[in-house]
Amino acid sequence: MRITKLLVASLAVLALVAAACGDDEDDAAEAPATTTAAPAVEEEPMAEEEPMAEEEPMAEEEPMAEEEMAMEMSFDVDAALDADLDNCAAAPTGDPFIIGFAADLSEVGGFADIPISEAGGYYVSLINCAGGVGGHPVAFIIEDVQGDPEVSQRATADLLDAGAHVILGPPFADTGDAVLQTVNASRAVIFVASTEPVLPDPSIYSFMTTFSDTQQAEAAAEFAIDNGITRAITFSSEGPYFGYNPETFAAKFEELGGELVLDVSYVPFEDFDFASHANEVAGVADGTEILYTAMIAPQLDALRGAIEERGIDSITYFGADAFGVSGITVIDNNEGVYWTDHGFGTDGNRYERLNDGLAAMGMPSEAPGFAALAGDAITVAIQGFIDAGSTDPLAIAEAISQLTGVEAVTDTIGYAGTDGTPDTPVYILQIVNGETTLAARMQ
Amino acid sequence: MIGLLQSLIDGLGRGSIYALLALGIAVIFGVMHMVNFAHGELITVSAYVAFGVIVTAGWAWWAAAPLIFVAAVGTSVAIEFVAFRWVRGSSDFTMLLTSFAVHFLVQAIFVMTMGASVRSFPRPDWADRVWSVGDLNIQVIDVVVIGATAVTMAVTVYLLQRTMFGISLRAAAEDFDAARLMGVRSNKVIRQAFILAGALAGIAAIFFLMRTGQARPTTGLSPLLKGILAAIIGGLGNMQGAVYGGLLLGVSEVLLRSWLPEDLVGITDGVVFALIALFFIFRPQGLLYVRSAERV
Repeated sequence: MRITKLLVASLAVLALVAAACGDDEDDAAEAPATTTAAPAVEEEPMAEEEPMAEEEPMAEEEPMAEEEMAMEMSFDVDAALDADLDNCAAAPTGDPFIIGFAADLSEVGGFADIPISEAGGYYVSLINCAGGVGGHPVAFIIEDVQGDPEVSQRATADLLDAGAHVILGPPFADTGDAVLQTVNASRAVIFVASTEPVLPDPSIYSFMTTFSDTQQAEAAAEFAIDNGITRAITFSSEGPYFGYNPETFAAKFEELGGELVLDVSYVPFEDFDFASHANEVAGVADGTEILYTAMIAPQLDALRGAIEERGIDSITYFGADAFGVSGITVIDNNEGVYWTDHGFGTDGNRYERLNDGLAAMGMPSEAPGFAALAGDAITVAIQGFIDAGSTDPLAIAEAISQLTGVEAVTDTIGYAGTDGTPDTPVYILQIVNGETTLAARMQ
Repeated sequence: MIGLLQSLIDGLGRGSIYALLALGIAVIFGVMHMVNFAHGELITVSAYVAFGVIVTAGWAWWAAAPLIFVAAVGTSVAIEFVAFRWVRGSSDFTMLLTSFAVHFLVQAIFVMTMGASVRSFPRPDWADRVWSVGDLNIQVIDVVVIGATAVTMAVTVYLLQRTMFGISLRAAAEDFDAARLMGVRSNKVIRQAFILAGALAGIAAIFFLMRTGQARPTTGLSPLLKGILAAIIGGLGNMQGAVYGGLLLGVSEVLLRSWLPEDLVGITDGVVFALIALFFIFRPQGLLYVRSAERV
């Protein structure tokens, strides 16, 4: 028995030693985070063609020179969205343009980054199917930051090691900051779903794909005033999103001549017994108010029900973009509710085609707005690559900061002269007769 | 005075759900000497079942409720069979870690299979209805929850005091080894304890989900913490204490919500925890004294 144990222990030690001495390339090959790349890359192992010196990491030291790039670099979003995955063009054979996604797939940020990962992978497969970008395939590598700043740093380092030319970032500031620190302005970081106003900074090549909380809250205030509403109630909580949006809304609303009659505190995700909150509202409301909050849809449902039970049934309810991904269309008491969102699918536009394509592939997005933002972020990265005419990450980052009028999936996007937040519009959507409708597009 | 009465009614409605969860935690603590951090997952599973049958299958709430109850009981039994049975007799620390493992595992499974997004489902029409009695606004759901908790308590007391199941459970809680020597089958009694805890969580889940109308991987976390807190306030292992603890916690939350200045309302939970810490300085054994701290 002792001999058997000794043998097993010896074998285990040998196995560990063997694993430790193993080839790093094996590890790299075995641990691909989720990758969507063109087949050509898989078919042509680099080592066989041009063995690289060990100390020369691929992406950092061998950016494609401008003259090596395809002569006619262009990218057509519509052509990509119309690609038929069952009938692709010839596979692109150039070196891949690598987009790394530091995605938060945990229960913290997964509501955004899981749909973005799925949509991003699908969009990249369409792009490659349509021939890539100027003969270069696009690779999409995902590393999970797990909602943890420390893990974010490691995940980002892995993406840099994998040669990512552009990094897409997670939705929240804590993990986003960790990504920015690790990247250290060596390439562009594009935050896909984040609306955190603290993240964008063109001086370190940090960009957002969509509007900031400031923009969405101010757009809501302007919309309310434009529609003749002069009294507001906000529901807020301490913190960046649930607190910042109502606070910004209130400031803008009052600046435009409106009156904030009540601000009520609540606990995001946890409060569902709104009896006492509704009593407070009933004490001051006359029914002409707008109730602005960033709370999730099921909470609004409970709040609205409690308020209406107290005889106040003509308040206008208005939420931030969290509504769109938390079941606003499912809850019963949603008629007439407004919220700010990232786009609107209609008449076969790009937003609709991307989401229809996902649905046809058997993976309908539970957050169509975020799916479309995945398309936007990848389009921006590709346009930066094209404008730079090189895979030099810094040249791409610089090119992104100068982009104007890029035709993306949700709308046009540009960064020139901005603080890293794109000049993209805020869509105001409303439930009318049970259907999601476009109420306004605020630039 | 009206405000105080209003807060008491609202608080009892909220606290009743905590009490039901605390009861289940107390039952498991009684027989296994373990604070079960996986208890909240019964709510999480129930929430996804509710989402599945109400949104996907289009069931009405009256039809979904029994299935939610069965899901909680089934999950409780499954967790015992898959996880806790294998560490029975291990140190308290091992069992505690096992319950954490189940908690995180279930959460991860839902993130992987259902995604991290909030899944909303419609709440019953009557959930928001209010009866106005003078200046008092009494929510129908509060009355129903308080009533259901009272009935559940009565049934639980009957089960524990008047049936062989209850006698076995109490005997096992008092002295597990002696109970086994007297013919109590350990597997059976522990399974029954998990069935009872699952049933209590199932009833709590139905009312909790009627209020919230949402499922997400962390749905059960907040009610779990409140349930554990209530059980500790009441004196861990004491069933009556667990109920009092739950009600006290609910009323405290609502009272603080209405008494604290608006700027400080966001820290209601923090104030509640601070008060509880203060309470334990003067009464470390909890509300009700438990001789062995292990009795059901």
